[in-house]
This record gives sequence, C-alpha cells and structure tokens, in this order.
Amino acid sequence: MTLATSRSSVQMLFGLFYAIWVATLCTLPVSALHASEVGIVDWHKIFIGVPLIGSSSISPTFHRVGSADGLTQSVVLAATSSNVLAALSPVNGSIVWRYVFEDDEHVIAFRKHGDVVAAVSGAGGANLRLFDAISGYLRLEERLHSPEHGRMFNPETLGTSIAFEPKTESGDLYILSNGHELRRVDGSTGELKWGWTSPDQASLVVYFKVVPTLAAVYLIGLTKSIASYTLHVSVISPDTGELVISANLPSSIRDGLTDVLLLSDSRNPELKPCMVWIESGAVRSIALSPELKGSGSTTKGSIYKGILDVGLSEHGQIVALKEDGTARVMKLEHDGLKVIWEFADSATVEHYSDSIYSGGFDKDGWPYVARIYWSHLLQKAYVHTFASHLAEGKGLETGYTFPFNTKDHGIIRHAAVDVANPAELKVIPRVVITTTTGAVQLWQQEQFLWSREEALADISLAEPVELPERKVIASHINLESETFGARLTRQLSDAKNFPAYASNFVKRFVTGSYASASSAVDSPADESDTIYRDTFGFRKIIVVATPYGKIYGIDSANGRVVWSRVLGLGWAAKVGATILPAKIFTIRTVSDGEKPQVVLVTQRKADNGLVDTVLFHFDPLTGEDVTTASLGSDLLQGHDVIPGELVEAFMLPNETAKAVILFDEFLQIHLYPDTTETQQAFKALLPKLRVPLRAGKPGARQLTGHEITREPEFTGRHVAFPTWTLTFPPGEDILALVPRPREPVASLGKVLGNRTTLYKYLNPHLVAVVTGAAPPAAACAVYLVDSAKGTILYHVTIPPVDGACDVKATLTENWLVYHYWDAGLAGTEDAKSYRVVSVELYEGSGVDDKIRSSDLTSCSNATTAFTAFEQAYVFPFGIQTLTTTSTKYGISVKDIILATKNRQVQSIPRRLLDPRRPHHKPTSEEMEEWLIQYDPVIPDDPRRTLSHSYEVERVRRIITSPSLLESTSLVFAYGLDLFFTRVAPSDTFDVLSETFNKLQLVLTVGGLALAIVITRPMVARKRLREKWYD
Amino acid sequence: MRNPLNFLFLASVCYSALALDLKGRIQWNDVCPDFAQLGRTQVLLDHGKLHGSVMEDGGFTIPGVAPGTYILTVAAHNHAFEKLRVDVLDTDSLPEIRPYFPGTPLSPPPTITLPYPIVLHARQKHDYFVPRESFNLFGMLQNPMMMLTVVVGGMMLLMPYIMKNMDPEVLQDFSQRQARISQMQSSLQSGDLTSGISALMAANEEPKGASSATTTKASAPSGVKNRGGKNKKR
Repeated sequence: MTLATSRSSVQMLFGLFYAIWVATLCTLPVSALHASEVGIVDWHKIFIGVPLIGSSSISPTFHRVGSADGLTQSVVLAATSSNVLAALSPVNGSIVWRYVFEDDEHVIAFRKHGDVVAAVSGAGGANLRLFDAISGYLRLEERLHSPEHGRMFNPETLGTSIAFEPKTESGDLYILSNGHELRRVDGSTGELKWGWTSPDQASLVVYFKVVPTLAAVYLIGLTKSIASYTLHVSVISPDTGELVISANLPSSIRDGLTDVLLLSDSRNPELKPCMVWIESGAVRSIALSPELKGSGSTTKGSIYKGILDVGLSEHGQIVALKEDGTARVMKLEHDGLKVIWEFADSATVEHYSDSIYSGGFDKDGWPYVARIYWSHLLQKAYVHTFASHLAEGKGLETGYTFPFNTKDHGIIRHAAVDVANPAELKVIPRVVITTTTGAVQLWQQEQFLWSREEALADISLAEPVELPERKVIASHINLESETFGARLTRQLSDAKNFPAYASNFVKRFVTGSYASASSAVDSPADESDTIYRDTFGFRKIIVVATPYGKIYGIDSANGRVVWSRVLGLGWAAKVGATILPAKIFTIRTVSDGEKPQVVLVTQRKADNGLVDTVLFHFDPLTGEDVTTASLGSDLLQGHDVIPGELVEAFMLPNETAKAVILFDEFLQIHLYPDTTETQQAFKALLPKLRVPLRAGKPGARQLTGHEITREPEFTGRHVAFPTWTLTFPPGEDILALVPRPREPVASLGKVLGNRTTLYKYLNPHLVAVVTGAAPPAAACAVYLVDSAKGTILYHVTIPPVDGACDVKATLTENWLVYHYWDAGLAGTEDAKSYRVVSVELYEGSGVDDKIRSSDLTSCSNATTAFTAFEQAYVFPFGIQTLTTTSTKYGISVKDIILATKNRQVQSIPRRLLDPRRPHHKPTSEEMEEWLIQYDPVIPDDPRRTLSHSYEVERVRRIITSPSLLESTSLVFAYGLDLFFTRVAPSDTFDVLSETFNKLQLVLTVGGLALAIVITRPMVARKRLREKWYD
Repeated sequence: MRNPLNFLFLASVCYSALALDLKGRIQWNDVCPDFAQLGRTQVLLDHGKLHGSVMEDGGFTIPGVAPGTYILTVAAHNHAFEKLRVDVLDTDSLPEIRPYFPGTPLSPPPTITLPYPIVLHARQKHDYFVPRESFNLFGMLQNPMMMLTVVVGGMMLLMPYIMKNMDPEVLQDFSQRQARISQMQSSLQSGDLTSGISALMAANEEPKGASSATTTKASAPSGVKNRGGKNKKR
C-alpha cells in the first residue's frame, strides 16, 4: 500500500515538474528591446527630402517669429519633393518640426504669417492646413473641395494662392483654389466667412493670385488667347465676397507663370498694389484700384528679358533682367515702378555661372536682395547683398565669397537669405542653399554652419557590405639588412600597444565584460574614416544610391556618412543628364579575399534624349573607383556598358567567378567583368539559366521566360530567346515580382511531433507575382510561378479596394506571406480588416513524401507535386512593406519584419504566423513543435515594435542582412527616414546571455569550495568517531 | 446599356451629395494629456482612404464620408485607442457609432451605441520595452530547476521523520527499494560527477554497506541514519 502511495507520489511529483516545464515552454517568449539598448543597437536619422524650388510660393525661405518679450526665433521653412513641409533650425540644421503629407496629396503652396504657416495640398488645392510655425502643431485642417473635383494644372502650383488679411488682428485667410474658387476663412476656427466662385468657370480664365487690400481683394487671372495670355482682374469685396468688377487688361503675355508679378508694399499700405508684367521686351505696370481705373506705364530705354519674384513682392521690390543678363532692382513708389539699383557686372559671362537672386529680411523687416553666383575661375561662390534702405536711402551693396564645395555637392540651384544688420554699414547675410545633389547648407557669410544630405530621403538602392577585419599591418621590412638599433626601435614601437592589450586582458578576465549581442559596435574614440568589422559582424557599410547622382557609404553602427561620391556624367556632361540607379551588386566580398567591391548599374538619361546603361565599379569602404575610369577626375566615372536601355541585370548564380549579366533591349547579353574566367563560368551555367522578364504593353503585361542561346550570335553576343509566356487575365498588370532570395537553407524539412517529416518545397525558380492594375482595377492577385517553365503553382485573387490594389508580399524558402485590406465581400456580413495570409509549401502529398525539390531539374514534372498549408489572420495595421529576417546559415527562425502605416517597424514572430497552428487545444505532439492554438486576430503588442518611440516615416523598403552571429539579423529600413537595428528571432542562443551573472557564478563556486573546506575536517572527524564507536 | 450607366452616375452624384463630414475629438486624459504627448495622429476609416488629422485642440473631421459601414481607427504612434464602428446612413440622421472588436463580424451590430460627435479616449500608452532581468532570489526560485532542487532538498530533510513514523516492516521494504533506486540512479548518473564529489569528500569508501548497515538498525540515532541517506543520495 505504501509502495503504491509512494509511487503515486513520485508520479505526481514528476507530473508537477512536467507541468511546470510545459508551462514555461508555452508562454510566448517576448524578445523585446530593453530600454538601455535604445541608441546602442539601433539608430534613426530623420530627413525632410530635397526642397522644391519651383516657384516662390513653395521654395525654402526664412521665417522669423517674434514673441511677446521681444525675442525672435527663426526657422527655415521648406516644402520638399518627398511631400513634406518642414521647419529647420538655422542654428544647427536640425528639424524643428515636419509634417508628412499623404502620398496622393502633394503640397502645392505654403505661406507664413506671424506664428502661423498655412499650406495647401492636393489636386487644385483641395486641403488647407494651418501649423504653428514654431511647434508645428496642426491648428486647423479644412477640406476646400474633394480631390476628385480638383483641377489638374501644370505646374501644380498654378491656380492656388494663399494670402493673409492685411489687418493682422483678424487672422483671416484668403484661399484661392482650383483656379476659380476664392474663400475667406477664419484663421482660428476654420469657419468659412464667404466663398466666391467664378461664374464662368467654363471659360478660359484661370486665376493664380489673390492680393488682399483693405479696400478690395484682387484676383489676378489669365485668359488664353490665340498665341498668348491676357491678364484678367476681378475685384471682390472683402466683407461680403461679392464681385465688384471684372475686366481684361490689354496685355499679351508669353509665359503666364513667370512673366506676371503683383507688387504691394506692406510698409506703406496706402500705396496701391501694382501689377507688373513683361511684354515685348518692356516691363509694364498698372496700379490696381477697386474701380480698375488705373493707367498703365511702360519702362523706356532698356530691353528686358524677364522679371523675377525674389520673395519681396509684398515689399515692393522685384528684380528685372536686362537682355544681356544684367539685373536691376525695381521698387514700387508713389509714382510707379522705379529702378533703384543695378548689380554691377551681372551680365551673363562665361566664367561666371548664372546668378540666383533671392530676397531676405532683417530683424526689423527691411528687405534685402542677394545675388549668388559661382566663379568657374576662382572656384568660389559669390554673394552680393543690396539693401535699399541703408546709406541714407541711397542703397548699399556688400559682397563676399564662400568656399562652396562643388565636387561634393554639385551646383547651387536655389538660395534663401536672411540678414543681420548689427551696424549701419554692416550686413551679415545667412544663406541657405539647395544643390543639385540634394544637399541643404547654411553659410553665414564665409563660415560654413551646417549641411544636410537630403538626397538620403530618396534612396533608390541600398546594399549592406561586410567589412574586413582589423589586421595588424605586416611590416614589410627586409629582416636581413636591418640593423640591431633599427630592429629594437621597430619592436619597441610595435610593443607600444602591449600595455593596453595587457590591461584589457586582465580587465576582461576579472570583470567578465565580454562583447555581448547588445553592446555598441563603434567606439566613440574611433572616428577615423577607416572602419573595421566588430566581433560579431554587426558593423557593415551600407552603400546607398540616390537619383540625385550621388552615392553614399553609411556606417551601420551609427548612421554616419563615411564617404560620398558624385557620379560623373561621362560624355553627357556637356548636355546634362540624370543618372537613375537600377541595380547594385557586391561582386567581391571580404571572404573572397582582398577588398570588397561593388558594382552599381545605372541608366543615364541625357537631356538630349539618349539613354545609356552606365556601370560604376568601386570600393564600398572608401568609394574609390577600382577601375581606371575615374583617373584624372574628381567625380566617380562609370563605364558605358550598353549604348541603350537596360532590361534586366542579375548576378551570375556562381560562387567562384562573380559577374553581372546585363540584358539590353534586344535581349543581348553583356557580361561584366568580361574576363575569360567569367566567360567560362557563364558558359558552364548557360544551360541552367532561366530568366523571367516582364513583357508586353502596360496594361497587358505578360511574364515571359527566357533561355539563352548556347553559342554567340553573329553579333558576338549571346541572345535570350523566349520559351514560355504567362498571360494574366485582362486588367491584371504585374505590380511586383518577388523572387525567392538566394540564401542558405539549413533544414530541408520539418520534423513533426510524431517523428514524421514534412519536406519543404524548395524550388529555386519560385517567384511570387503580385498583379493588379491602376485604378479602376478589376482584380488583384497573388501568384506563385515556377519561373523555369511558367507553371502557376499557387494562385489567389484578392478583391480590389476602391479600385486599387494594395497587396504586399514576401517570399522566403517555402513560405509566402501577403497582406491586404479585406473590405468584406458581403457588405456587413464579414469583418472588415487587414488580413495577413501565411502560405507554406511542402513536397509531395503529405508527410514523409520527398521529391528533392531543391535538386530537381526544372523540366521534371514532379515540380508541381506539393501541398500548401495556409492560414489567414486579422492584422491590426496597414503596412508599407514587409520582408523576412535573414541569417548567415538560415538556422534561426525567420520572423517577418514590416513597416506599418503607423510609422513603426515591427517584427512579427514566425510562431504567430505559422500556417500549421492548430484550431484546437494543441496536443502534446503539437506542443513539442511549439505550435500554439489558432487565434484569428494577431494582437497589437507594442513590445514587437523594433523602432519603439522613433517615428520612422514612409518606409519604402526594408533590407535584412546576416551578421556573423547566426542568431542575429541586421535590419535596415529606408524611405523618408533611415532606421537600423538588429533582431534575434530565436534569441541570442550563440552568445552568453546579457543577464548572465558572472558574479553570481563566481560566488556560488566560491561558496561551495568554502563549504567543502569547512566540512571536510568535520566529516573526517565524524568518520573517525564512527570507526571507534560504531 | 446606356441608361443603367447613367443611373449609376446619377446615383454616385447623389451619394456624393449625401456625403457627410464625420466629426469628433480626442478627449485628453491621464494617459494622453495634450497634443504634445499625442504627436501627429490621423483618424482613419477602413484602410485610410478617408481620413482626418487630429488638430491641436484634439478635434478632427473626416470629410466626404459616403453612406456605409466603416471601421474607425486612430493611427497614433505612442498610444492605443479603441476601434469604433461607424454607420453613415442614407437619411439625414446622424451617423451611428458603436464599439468594435477586431476580428468580429459586422453583423449583427452591437446594441450599444455611442454618442455623436465621436469622443475617443487614449486607452494606453505603448510600452515598448521589457525590463532587464536583475538578480533576485525570488526570480531564481521561480526557475523550474531551482524548484526541483528545493523540493528534493525538502524531501531529503523530511525523510528521516517519515521513516521514523513508519512501520518497521514497511521501512525495511522501503529501504531496500530505496537502495535499488539509488543504485539505479548512481548507474544513471555520469561516473565523473559522483566520483569527483566522493573524492572531494573522501568519505565514500563503502557507501552501500554503510547505508544498509545503518538502516537495518532501527534503534540507531536518527542523525546517523540521515547522513547515511544523504551520502547515498549523492
């Protein structure tokens, strides 16, 4: 009986232990960030994008905001090509605030007034927003008209204008939108005071400017005549919004946008506003009155070719250009427009670049006009500033040069000016320049204050490259001829690092400060330009290419730009061109010996219409050219590999001879580098190469598989020929091709709880195709296609949402994950939510059915023998992009890394998305496989957010790359912002845990040893006693 | 063919005429006291084609909402908000606002309705971090291995008292069995460990004999018995 009870109690005990063990297994391990790791394992760089410089209503400008205590604060306001309105601090270039507009809603114009910045965006100016100029808080958001009713103008800025009520205390705004609608809006509440719509909106009058005065609001428009435009003015009552009078002015204008300006003087409100335009070489002007009874005047004598709005039109000053390029400042005065200054030597000459004219203000609001130009002879930028109010009203011009670096930053395209005037004859301008490479810089006189590389907000391609180890440079000394003294000094100098090494060794041994997975990889002392690999290979150099003709090397440890190069235009330098990056490849890695090398394939679109494929081959550690193309040039020059467009480029799937294969538009093959070694490797691989290409007209795209001729054609080149064509249903266009990434697969199958195996379907030619069409789309679909022979392996159609397809997909090994919005087919019957679907393909018809899909020839019929497991989950957010983690050997679990529309980067554990999650309580066998019960909703867990409190805006792509640690994958997200972190999907199993307590271990061992020392004599004594007395 | 198209067009015009501006506000609370805490936030209907931004005073307007059923979500970066179901009706009446739980079907609608204009409350501020595990005794004891050790240790301490209260016959039987188990255990265990410890203790020359000798004598002092048992265990 007791035996039985004791046995049962033992069983119970074991049962208890088992239960505890299972309980610890079943709690989902949350591998989240520790607060102390912020800024150490990750970094986040924020950008605003390259400023727009189209017109004065959109280009960068200084703005000074006064406060009650007399102090003022300045910001640089800019609207950018990334659709951002931002304020930069002129002190250090940091972003004070930024507002990112929706992708379908372009920012059209902004205007500053006191502590408010007003911005209109969307088609025809659909939305109005007011921001606090210093904090950036959104004060008001108002829709003016629905975007569908917006009229599209070219340029977009036409037809929209913002003006503030001149009586500042009322804070009202006049908004002209859509070219014919005028509103007076209360600036604090957004309440519409009145609205006026042009009665003849069908006519050809397009209004583009609103000028409010106390007596009347003037709307300036253009009417299209046969060969030119005619000015049209409507006068509207500011109180009631009624049209007072409307008339055409006798005029004939060639370019409606640049040839007309409106002048008024806010310092002199009784001056009537004056309309200025250029007509047949003369500057004409007419003063506006509510009755439209002014008489025009025309300048005499000089012939003018243009007038420029330098941002001072409300202070009565413009710049007029004479025929030879000489610039004159004109000012609105009581008796009309007067020339008050002429910039000396401003005529167009060969050794100076064309001048940029810009207006600025000082603290007291006096206007200044600056002229900025580049001297090709002296390689310096010149600034001349003219102040009309100084020197007793006669006007004062001051000048200086600043050493702008044209080799690194291209050409100055725009300048905004702010002026300090500390003494009567002392003028200190601050100039914010925007360059062709996307740099924004601030120069205070000749002193360089800061620079922002805004091209990084628009990265086209990024490639992380492994770094070499820090090696002790072997001293190449002839040992035989070395004297004793020389050897001694050399050895002493070699030994200078020994004390540091010894102290480091002792410290490491005693305190146990090992390199851990969450420690910083860059030492702050190490600011040199040569960077080396850290212990675990977390540090890489990320080579990024931008469409602004500049490439960068970014240190992945801290986001610092290590080097940058401007891409040379080759022969197109004479006509001008843009270089658009197409593909980037690492053709030599550290493990191949020597230094790594990167090849960037670009398309150069010359301004004369010719397109060439240009290839840049450089060292990713320094940006130096590894070929001879850049000899004698400051820029990185490329090789023109194809005189025409590029169709496709990929790396030869070969480990020994790495080469890039390029397809031109005639599907001819170009090899780079073209050596006998690479040609042999190419020949050897020829029979296996299967290339899927997109073909057909837009709207009816097909996927066409190609093989390559075994022997070169008469042109001396191999040519690809089509072998199969996959036509998608009408209305389905290829939106994305997601090939299976070429990465190591650790296990070919998955051992189940009952010791059977599911073999992964690892077809190397697997490609996911996302199809759909531009709105209105009929259907969206996801296909899995065998790109060797065009077989559709998996197909699912997804209903489009509002006529658009927004399906994101990623593919790795045998696992496909896609995400979309499900609007619910049957109206309110279904749930409306984002869905994420996880699909896994396994070989054969079930367990233990093996077809060796990874080694199968692509002609085998067995490639279609597979089983798909799939499961759909409700996802809490919309996403921008998604990808999987990647590790060195592919042993670690692959998590999904995604960027949400909530500006976060999250990692979703594979366990949550496992398509084999059981619908019942998991059995012990399933528990052994770590399967958890199916739950349709994936909960929103903030601890999965890798980017924590960072707001990572507009992520376009996430790149994962392996580190030397199998457990850890590096994550780099780019879009408007850059974000880098590292993740360990299966926890850092290959390094000593962060929580490992060396002290505790030492104390325990020490305590045990002490206990032995104490008890040993006691036991010996006792045994002796036992022998005597027992 | 032409007429139905025209009709559709007319219908869409009617719908856009009926489109409504959905208004609401974020009620500041302890979780989210002001706009500076909230940061830039959008209120989205469904997948975000219709949206409005939260303004400095917490208010928001989603313009041009056509009749239909929508899920309203708040896309805040650092705060969690509840999701709502919004039914915009064809008639002029106000939209119906109901709570919504993700993943549940839209039909039948919940019976609870919430007031319009919509009032939203921040439920929670996201906590992105897990605290670092520090060395604490309780945490160590929660470790299953530790629990096992503690229970075994406790059993060992209690064993002499249990044995003392046992029937001598049963005791003999039990001790025999225990000896068997210990034999089995020692054979199971790696030889290195046991021999290493025994060498350290230098007290293990005759383990089995000693234990059997002590246990057969019922009158022997319990302390001795205890030590014998302990030795055996090791």
